[in-house]
Amino acid sequence: MSLLEVTDLRAGYGETRVLDGVSLAVDAGEVVTLVGRNGVGKTTTLRAIVGAITPWAGTVRYDGEDVTGLSPEATVARGIGFVPEERRVFPGLTVTENLSLATHGGSDAGRGRSVESVLDTFEPLDERRDATGQHLSGGEQQMLAIARALVADADLLLLDEPTEGLAPLVVEAVADLVRNANETDGITVLLVEQNVATALELADHAYVLDQGRVVYEGTAADLEAATDVVDRHLGVSID
Amino acid sequence: MAADADAHGSTTIGTADDPVLETRGLVKRFGELVAVDDVSLRIPRGEVRSVIGPNGAGKTTLFDLITGVLAPTEGSVRFAGADVTGLAPHERVARGMSRSFQLTDVFGGLTVRENVRLAAQAARDDGFSPADWLLRPTGSFVDVLADAEAVLERVDLADRAGERAATLAYGDRRRLEIGIVLATDPDLVLLDEPTAGMSREETAATMALVGDVLADRTLLLIEHDVDLVLDVSDRVTVLDRGSVLASGTPAEVAADDDVQAAYLGGSR
Amino acid sequence: MASALVEQLLNGLTIGMVYVLLAAGLSVVFGVMDVINFAHGELFALGAYFGYAVATVDGGGFWAALVVAPLAVAVVGAAIERYTVRPLYGRNPLYHILLTFGLVLVLKDGIELVWGPRPKELSAPAVISGTVEAFGFTYPRYSLFVIGIGAVLAAGTWLALNHTRYGLVIRAGSMDREMVTYLGIDIDRYYTLVFAFGAALAAIAGLVLAPRNGVDPGMGDSVIIPAFVVVVLGGLGSFRGAVVGGLGVGVVQTVMRSYVPVLEGLVVFLLMIGVLLVRPQGLFGDPEFEEAGDLFTASGGVLTDARRRQLGVAVVALLALAPLGSGVLYSPFLLNSLFVTVLTWALFALSLDFVMGYAGLVSLGHVLFYGVGAYVTVLVVMHAVPSVVLALLVGVAICLPLAWVIGQLSIRVAGVYFAMITLGFAELFAQIPNKVTQINALLATPWLPTWLRLPALRGNRGLFGIDPVYGLTGGPGVGAVQVVGGVDLLYYVVLAAVVGSYLLARRLMQAPFGSVLQGIREAEQRAEFVGYDVTAYKRRAFVVSGGLAGLAGGLQALADGGVSTSYLAWIQSGKVIVMTMLGGMGTLYGPMLGAGAFFGVKEFLLPVTEQWQGVLGVLFVLFVIFVPEGLVSIPATVQARFAGGPSGGTPVEEPDPVDREVGD
Repeated sequence: MSLLEVTDLRAGYGETRVLDGVSLAVDAGEVVTLVGRNGVGKTTTLRAIVGAITPWAGTVRYDGEDVTGLSPEATVARGIGFVPEERRVFPGLTVTENLSLATHGGSDAGRGRSVESVLDTFEPLDERRDATGQHLSGGEQQMLAIARALVADADLLLLDEPTEGLAPLVVEAVADLVRNANETDGITVLLVEQNVATALELADHAYVLDQGRVVYEGTAADLEAATDVVDRHLGVSID
Repeated sequence: MAADADAHGSTTIGTADDPVLETRGLVKRFGELVAVDDVSLRIPRGEVRSVIGPNGAGKTTLFDLITGVLAPTEGSVRFAGADVTGLAPHERVARGMSRSFQLTDVFGGLTVRENVRLAAQAARDDGFSPADWLLRPTGSFVDVLADAEAVLERVDLADRAGERAATLAYGDRRRLEIGIVLATDPDLVLLDEPTAGMSREETAATMALVGDVLADRTLLLIEHDVDLVLDVSDRVTVLDRGSVLASGTPAEVAADDDVQAAYLGGSR
Repeated sequence: MASALVEQLLNGLTIGMVYVLLAAGLSVVFGVMDVINFAHGELFALGAYFGYAVATVDGGGFWAALVVAPLAVAVVGAAIERYTVRPLYGRNPLYHILLTFGLVLVLKDGIELVWGPRPKELSAPAVISGTVEAFGFTYPRYSLFVIGIGAVLAAGTWLALNHTRYGLVIRAGSMDREMVTYLGIDIDRYYTLVFAFGAALAAIAGLVLAPRNGVDPGMGDSVIIPAFVVVVLGGLGSFRGAVVGGLGVGVVQTVMRSYVPVLEGLVVFLLMIGVLLVRPQGLFGDPEFEEAGDLFTASGGVLTDARRRQLGVAVVALLALAPLGSGVLYSPFLLNSLFVTVLTWALFALSLDFVMGYAGLVSLGHVLFYGVGAYVTVLVVMHAVPSVVLALLVGVAICLPLAWVIGQLSIRVAGVYFAMITLGFAELFAQIPNKVTQINALLATPWLPTWLRLPALRGNRGLFGIDPVYGLTGGPGVGAVQVVGGVDLLYYVVLAAVVGSYLLARRLMQAPFGSVLQGIREAEQRAEFVGYDVTAYKRRAFVVSGGLAGLAGGLQALADGGVSTSYLAWIQSGKVIVMTMLGGMGTLYGPMLGAGAFFGVKEFLLPVTEQWQGVLGVLFVLFVIFVPEGLVSIPATVQARFAGGPSGGTPVEEPDPVDREVGD
């Protein structure tokens, strides 16, 4: 059974339909990527899974439980961690404050990793623990955003464009971070990326989204080989 | 508009191909972040120029500097032979610059016809007396109405003219936006990702429409779709982290190693 | 001399601390929730009244009150947040103004119902009475007590914000509310807490000020505006700004009172306007707060244009024929007083909607033009020509350039700051009638001509006993000519002026000028990039609006036979905003309907209950929560509900919404 199962999800904003029946599955321990052009519904899919928007129809099942339409508080408490686009680091809070915000307070003391243990594995952040969010570089911000989800003890990480606007070297560093979280900590990842090459490098499995529908599903290697799909739906040549 | 010649006569104008737009050493800093770093462009009249680059490369900021939404930290913008660096957006529009936005921006609560009419009315702004402007019903400005109808025909929205713009489907709304741009009768059009989120078919239709109705204008285009860019552009400028990485014909740019590395995420 | 200065400083800091306590709550509530809480002043008053109740009961006393009252007010605050504010999150802060304005009425009426309208006295315990001496100066113990308790609370709040988990969540929430929920935190719970805490601070402020200033139902009104000034000065959402702003305003106000009395009451507003012009986000504020939420403008509803025109003509005809029934069906008072008031306020609301509904400018200072129009009209009648028509025209003629100047200065700041800066200008003008002597003393310099000096305005007593005529300089007086049934001719003058203004406004909206305003309302950036100078258009709309508001004020002054400072009171600005939103912004007739509904309901309630204000307040609260688009949206909503489409709630679209009300 899959850790995350999305079935025929339909959603949108106001009168505008964005998702027109998206179905996908993520198995525990996998890295799955969701690729597609701008505006095809990748971010909306993640937002509907975490509960930031209420889907019009369809279901989201997590760990065997129907979580469709639950609030982000509820889905996060069940172990879904959402790292939204543009990182959304709190600009006026220090690194440590950003992280400790994500701990579940006293009541859930058993859950989650401590701020200190996470900082131990994120050395560059540890060095800047008292700097406020606004003074971090893009790469450091992305690192902090991911670290924050780890502190909140995510079993499933929803990552929205983690390499957006980062220099190639930093892209590699963030990719390593995601790989590490997956391989060392056993965290399952659903990755939305504009940068198809990086996405396929990381992922076991890939879905291609176009106009609110899944138009291709397969292993990362298969997608890489399927040049017609890449050309038709991604509009970016990857070689 | 070309008659709007530069009175202050600055140094390097006067080469053979009189550029309609020229930026010199544009820099925009937000605090410590340098969003646009020393960008100089020369765009001759009639050219289709595309600006490409990874997300966050400074493309939209560059558009904001050219159109006057943001003031540059350093550098200047010359348009149609005059320095427009200190002018407000509407003043640049009046000189013949027009722009569409990444997220479609139309007058949602107004009808399709009224959307285009407002633009046509602005284009003829200087021809009215204050009394007419304040008190004469818009329905009696025959020239403006005729301009609007002509534009509606060209962008193929005449039969939807009475509908509220907000209720149009996405592709139609994009067409309406192109209609609004056309109705301001611009010399230079800046299009920010005109085909974002469109299918292949819609993309082709939209670009055909742009090519058709804006054929005689100068176009500056931000696009993600590399194939499209290589297809439609006369020249391509590649931005990376705020500065120009490469500039040239589509073939030159496609062959450039730096561009491969930066724009295609370092693959292969 | 030195001891006088020390005393001034101490007094200033005492008042300043009260401002700090008030502003801290207001500011944090705004920073975290984007709520502009006009009812904060009533929570302050409620603190004093609860305190009075506890202090005077057997076994109570001041110290018990200091514990019980803030807790009780905190509960009230939590209830307000939970049941009235929460449904409005994500909407434009304007709706909070309407909501909290309704709450002001409810709370004030509740206070009067329980404790009556007469002021109460609350004496301070002996420990904090009298004076202490140190370093050769004498200090009142009471001031030291207020400063001490204020400092302790401010420090405690600062510690809580910066060094507790609660504070961490609240600070994060003010930066990015959505991201906080993505971390699995139920932020709504914190909102209730913040609101309750702000209410408790206000209650303490009210209670500690009570022994010095007394306890009366008007005490909330008297502090809310200075408290807002402090918040805006310091920067919306900034706790540090609230502390510095509060102490600064307290000291400056007190010192000015002794040394530059002409500036007392003016200086804080001058300070606020100055700071906003130089640094629109306030001293310590973040520039991000100019973002606004959704603003609901009304749409045309279910009537066709032709039908609406017929309806309009019918209403005007009915109003024109109404005097025929006077003395038979109803007393002439109904037309001479109530109908005239409804009509002038309909015009006032129309003028506000011209900038608020069409140009998106929420002016909290529109009373300025209403009041100036009224004063100028009355002064012309008294000193120049007694002609009704000329006096009204001069009133409008003065308001137009005044609106241009104030628009020029204000429109560069956006959103809430625009509302506050216009409020500042209005409050400056509201002080003038009480400061004529001092201002003239300043103007009494040889190089200024004497005609520049202000005429006598007689302060709060006002200028009454005018005797205007319908001719140019002579002829029948306003009170002398009656049409049928004891109805004054003035009724027709007002009716004609209001209908004429409506037709003018309608015409402007049909012309290119108005079409651009509607474009700006729909998509400001698009309008700019089609080539319109958006700022200039907003300013022009503001000028038109100022002129119409001045006309409304002038008409009302003629009907009242004079003018007084109440014509310039900020509460009138609140009232007219309420009427505009009640009727439906963005249509010209909606706000006029709103004015009618406002006075109609008031007139209906007046004989039924003494608590009519409270009932009215409850109605506003329900209205803003359930019918945000105003009265004019009700028919369409009802029709959609009963027409039974699959979605039920989709509003019925007009075939041609551009011309929804101005179409030809």
